[in-house]
Amino acid sequence: MSSRSRQNTINRINTNANNNNNNNEEERGGAIKRTRLDNANYTSTHTFSSSSSSSTAVAAATASSSSSYDNFIGKTSKKYDLVNHGKDLIFPSHKPIPDRPNDAVRQGPQKQPIKKLVIKGLKDKPKLPDNYEEVTWSKLQAAVQAIFNYQRIGTSLEELYKACENLCLHKMAPSLYKRLAGEIEEHLKVEKTKLENNLNENDTLLIVVNKCWQAHCEQMGLIRSIFLYLDRTYVLQTSGVISIWDKGLEIFQKQIMSSSAGDIKKKTMNGLITLIRLERNGDSVDRRLLHSLIHMFIDLGIYCPSFENLFLMETRSYYHHEGISLVSEITVPRYLKHVKKRLREESDRVSNYLDWKTKNPLTKVVDDELIKRHVDTLLEKGFNDMMEDQHADEHIQELGRLYDLLARVNSLDRLRLYFGNYIKKTGSNIVNNVNQESTMVEDLLALKKKMDSIVAISFDRNYNFAHAVKESFEVFINQRQNKPAELIAKYVDLKLKLGNKRMDDLEIEKTLDEVLVLFRYIQGKDIFEAFYKRDLAKRLLLNKSASFDYERSMLSKLRKECGPGFTSKLEGMFKDIDLSRDFMNSFYHSRISENLRTNIKIDLYVNVLTQGFWPTYSPAPLILPPVMAECQEIFKEFYLSKHGGRNLKWQNSLGHCLLAAEFPKGNKELVVSLFQAVVLLQFNDLKLKERISYEHIKEHTGIEKKELDRTLQSLACGKVRVLKKHPKGRDVSPTDSFSVDEMFDVKFFRIKVNAIQMKETLEENQETNERVFLDRQYQVDAALVRIMKMRKKLSHNELVSELLSQLKFKAQVSDIKKRIESLIEREYLERDSEDPSILKYLA
Amino acid sequence: MRVKVKRWHGVAVWRWDVPNEEVCGICRVPFDGCCPTCKTPGDDCSLIWGECTHVFHMHCLLRWLQTEGSRGQCPMDRRTWGINFTKLFFLL
Repeated sequence: MSSRSRQNTINRINTNANNNNNNNEEERGGAIKRTRLDNANYTSTHTFSSSSSSSTAVAAATASSSSSYDNFIGKTSKKYDLVNHGKDLIFPSHKPIPDRPNDAVRQGPQKQPIKKLVIKGLKDKPKLPDNYEEVTWSKLQAAVQAIFNYQRIGTSLEELYKACENLCLHKMAPSLYKRLAGEIEEHLKVEKTKLENNLNENDTLLIVVNKCWQAHCEQMGLIRSIFLYLDRTYVLQTSGVISIWDKGLEIFQKQIMSSSAGDIKKKTMNGLITLIRLERNGDSVDRRLLHSLIHMFIDLGIYCPSFENLFLMETRSYYHHEGISLVSEITVPRYLKHVKKRLREESDRVSNYLDWKTKNPLTKVVDDELIKRHVDTLLEKGFNDMMEDQHADEHIQELGRLYDLLARVNSLDRLRLYFGNYIKKTGSNIVNNVNQESTMVEDLLALKKKMDSIVAISFDRNYNFAHAVKESFEVFINQRQNKPAELIAKYVDLKLKLGNKRMDDLEIEKTLDEVLVLFRYIQGKDIFEAFYKRDLAKRLLLNKSASFDYERSMLSKLRKECGPGFTSKLEGMFKDIDLSRDFMNSFYHSRISENLRTNIKIDLYVNVLTQGFWPTYSPAPLILPPVMAECQEIFKEFYLSKHGGRNLKWQNSLGHCLLAAEFPKGNKELVVSLFQAVVLLQFNDLKLKERISYEHIKEHTGIEKKELDRTLQSLACGKVRVLKKHPKGRDVSPTDSFSVDEMFDVKFFRIKVNAIQMKETLEENQETNERVFLDRQYQVDAALVRIMKMRKKLSHNELVSELLSQLKFKAQVSDIKKRIESLIEREYLERDSEDPSILKYLA
Repeated sequence: MRVKVKRWHGVAVWRWDVPNEEVCGICRVPFDGCCPTCKTPGDDCSLIWGECTHVFHMHCLLRWLQTEGSRGQCPMDRRTWGINFTKLFFLL
């Protein structure tokens, strides 16, 4: 077979072989066996040992390498990219090794001859026809034009796609892109002229423009699909080139919608604005048209600055006019309803065909023009009416609407101002109405309730509004000094007094709580206390209290409100009542009372009061019949024997008795005041129709004139007339005389005649007020001394202002001046010898 | 007609059995008021009568007697303090 030397020969042949041999070699290599080739000097050429061929096999040899070999290597290695099998290959240096052939011969024969296969590239590159681009483009162009003209496309879409792809592959994408853009532009130029013919027909312009736009979108969609390859390769890979779709929009904008391109854009916008105005006026319009065209603007990027501004300007002027005309034409509630409707419509508009970004500026425009501009007009014109409205539910709704709308434009402060003023006005009307004093408290409670419900429902429980209610109440309720406090106290008295229409516990508690809220607003709490105390005293002593539970509940409420200092005296009153009950118990178990029970037979019950707790009563003289006087003495003796170091003074005006009376027409029991009892006792054992003169009664009872007048009036001129007055008349005069009414008959067995006792007399009222003022004087004195003790030296004005900030009630400056004078007199203070306006504290 | 009192609800006010507008010799507060440590006059702040006829708020006097300088004497006349029990039945 092949020997070493022979291989050498082959190698030599090979060195001279030209490139053409490669082809032969390729063909001949049948069964190829790869052999180890020690000194093979090649890189990418393969060496094969062929079993059949002996002479012509081409092998790469190194021994006699020459420049031609290098050339060969250089050529083949570049042309063919074959896989190397590293194991069989040795990569020798490029240096020729001269001795090698001999070595190879010596090594002995090889098993197979080596064949070498060299693969070479085309000699000439395949070339496109020169007019390939033109031809392909014309095919595409035809298709594009067909699309634009709504014609059938002659070529199949796949072919067109391929054509586009091929152009791109042959690096003709830029020109293809340019050509396509040019084609679109040409087409749109034509469209533009068509549109311009329609310019003056406002009605159809929008429709035509819309049609053109819709067509453009549709056509561009198809074109984009055909030129997809272009879009995906060239456009994506090249910066500064926009996609075909965007290019289409750009051209559309430039050609048709730019302001330089004539009036189409302007007219379209005006057309849209007109449509929207029509819709606002209540006409029905083609919303799809609006939607499509407005979204055209959005797509073309001319919505935001130009169309939106135009739209907002139009909106502003539209609502400006509407606001001005409507606010004077229709009532405020209807106006508010209208505004709500408008706001809803505009927000619908945004969701139907405008860009969502327009929502905020649009609502702001509506808010500004319909609400903000008219806040004061609305409040001035309608607020009071809305508050006065009798239909509670409706007006609460309307006020809620007002609140919502004003909240939109941050004008709640204005609303609160009007709200406060309304309360102040209404409240001070109630408070200052001298004729309506009897219902003042109820009216105030109703007002409070109404305001609270308005704040809770209409005004969203806004804290500021609740505060406004409080503030306003505080202002107007103190406009009139003292009277509200007095009336509130009386109102409570009315509720707690026996004989009132029955209320259940919950109701009473609720009423008391409500009244307490009013009480909270009042500055002159001392007035309230004085009257409350006076009424409480009467309720307790005359047993007129509806329930001790209510009394105590009210007391604990007051304590919670004003602190224990305020109620300590009231609590003392309750304590006295309890102590008296205990004491009466021990009295009746004592031996001393036996005489009372067995001989005198008067059931005596005495409330002993601690002077400091109770209101002061002026002494009322009364000559008691001997039996009663004895009775009183027994009790007094017993009391003093239990409580040393004390004195007892009887309060005749508060005593009351149960009389057993025998009338000709039957026996009755009369509940009367002590005065009434003593007067009636004068008529005992008189002959029929015998009269007693006023003077006689006065002399024998010792009652003061005023009190006697009242007592006689209640007996002879009241509802229940036990006595007859001669001559008849309503008023008692000292010349009158009295007799028993022999015909007296009432269907009840027990008759209450002492209602007069519960009534507050004018003098009592005055007295209470005066007492409060006196107490206030002490408070002023104390505060003055307190301040001066701390500051040592103060000017008159500073002192007064500091004093006013400390006092809890309103004090007149002139009164304060008097108190200062009095303190100087009593040497608590002195005037500075140099500056008489400076006061100094005297330690 | 003939009437007879069956039941009588009377009202009486008690005050300390001392001359009007007299003040406690220790605290200078009227007897109708209470001593400086109390808040409400009446049962809770009673008076005390001495054998020497001097009257004080009981709290005032007890505090006085607790001071060393008092030597158990009436602050007004320095006689040894003794309670006039006839005035103080309720204490017994």
